[in-house]
Amino acid sequence: MRTHRVLTLGASLLVLLSACTTGGGASPSAARPSTASSAPSSSAPESTAPESTAPESSAPTGEKAAIKIGSDNFYESELMGEIYAQVLEANGYPVERKFGLGSRQERIPTMDAGDVDLVPEYVGSGTGFYDKTKIGGDGAENAKALQEAVASKNLTVLGITPGEDTNAFVVRKDTSDSLSLTKMSQLKDVQDQLKWGLPADCDTNPLCQGALEEYGITYPPKQREALGACDVPMAQALQGKAIDLAELCSTQPAIAQFGFVVLDDDLDTQPAENIAPLVRNDYLAKVDKAAFQKLLDDASAKMTTEELTKLGVLVAVDQKDIEDVAKDWITEMGLLPS
Amino acid sequence: MPDIPGFFLDPAHWTGTTGIPNRMLEHLVISGLAILIATLIGLPLGLYIGHTGRGANLAINLANIGRAVPSYAVLVMVLPVSLSLAPVLGYSPSLGLNFLPILIAMTLLAIPPILVNAYAGLRSVDRDLIEAARGMGLRETQILRRVEMPIASSIIVGGFRTATLQVIATATIGAILSGGGLGRFIIDGLSQGLVGRDSIYAGALLVTLLAVGVDLVLALVQRRLVPRGLRGRAEADRPGGGRPALTRPDSTPV
Repeated sequence: MRTHRVLTLGASLLVLLSACTTGGGASPSAARPSTASSAPSSSAPESTAPESTAPESSAPTGEKAAIKIGSDNFYESELMGEIYAQVLEANGYPVERKFGLGSRQERIPTMDAGDVDLVPEYVGSGTGFYDKTKIGGDGAENAKALQEAVASKNLTVLGITPGEDTNAFVVRKDTSDSLSLTKMSQLKDVQDQLKWGLPADCDTNPLCQGALEEYGITYPPKQREALGACDVPMAQALQGKAIDLAELCSTQPAIAQFGFVVLDDDLDTQPAENIAPLVRNDYLAKVDKAAFQKLLDDASAKMTTEELTKLGVLVAVDQKDIEDVAKDWITEMGLLPS
Repeated sequence: MPDIPGFFLDPAHWTGTTGIPNRMLEHLVISGLAILIATLIGLPLGLYIGHTGRGANLAINLANIGRAVPSYAVLVMVLPVSLSLAPVLGYSPSLGLNFLPILIAMTLLAIPPILVNAYAGLRSVDRDLIEAARGMGLRETQILRRVEMPIASSIIVGGFRTATLQVIATATIGAILSGGGLGRFIIDGLSQGLVGRDSIYAGALLVTLLAVGVDLVLALVQRRLVPRGLRGRAEADRPGGGRPALTRPDSTPV
């Protein structure tokens, strides 16, 4: 009987443990009770009075309506979401976090349904979800294209970060040395000697197959593994020599961690992937849009590629808490109201 | 709306390595291999503890923990190990990426039902019958082979059915690590944005059909395996219909 009890305890501990190691999507912050967000409706019933009387006119900057901030299920998206969330919280906006919503394909319906008011979006891939032909190498142009694509969905693209996280084709240091490989344009001569790690959608993606063909590479390469671009397994497979070339993201911590060599995209085939908050118009209508946008734009403006990479290493390699990393960063950047 | 018939009518989806027949074959190979290894491990263990009653608590509880660990977690935990062992053990790193992690994850998924059902099946055999066999001078292995296993056969095969169903449905996740099989249609579809929806639905449908089809075949096997004289009572001994696994059957003194 006693052993039975011990085993049961052990079993439940193990279940808990496995839940912790795998539940990356459901971060603790997502589960945080959002007492603040429900406050305005319960404690301030006068705000539900007819709008013409404007009983809450005490705030010249407009009402600070509660906002639901989401993110995709990887650290960088969550980090940007957390930064936007903390900047808004510091300025009196009640925030409910809905991080780890999934990939774009899963997240967009959530946002369309109104379950989320704001998500950090990559202007290149975000545009590409709707129309891959509209993506270019300039961040501002991509932001404009994204705005056109989402206008009919009543979404607004706010200011972009100068930093970007774009696709990068990466090799190990030993491969780079032995084949003297530093540029994408050198790949076509050695393509059959390499095992390629490419995302499953490469065949239908002009930024992948299209870009490789632009470099004179015969597609598909003879040896190829299908792994998620920028995913941890892709980086592990490269490190473990299951592949020799991987499509990763330029701010990916694994590149610094394992000393991978990023091949120079000398024909500029990859899109600009600056990050911008994507916000529902019906939320913007509830607040002073200019003041709201300024808060987020000021934060975005400080986020360079170097900062993104630096914060990425803190979160993904050093396993620092995203909340703490975001808090330290906005403090350091002077983004808190004085 | 997704155009699922359109996906199946496209002749390009029926040929080559990326066609449905090859993907289905890959799916069956990895699932079959996992079930085979799980059987080699789970069945003798289940029969041993079922026959002797030794270590039952430990084995059953370990098996239940095994059921609780998500296969996806096993997959990502095995990957770094299987990649780093490749140069040590001399297998191709590709195997360490797209084959070994999913094989290990599926084997671990398949062991618990096979083990637990073998144990439960044997424990459901009437103690008097075993004592009588022992009294007639049968050796322990003979009791196991000629008395316990035939009577428990329906429950034991039930464990295979559960394991096979789970493995076929779950082996789809191997596609995350560049594995083949029907999961490719789902994972590839997921990565393609809006145009990938047909592929996702078609893949899910194919996996379901394969799992249900194989289960039906196994159900027939299960019926045939039960000795004729026991077919009536075999129905009552189905998993869930028999005695609870962890209670000792009442033993009447001889």
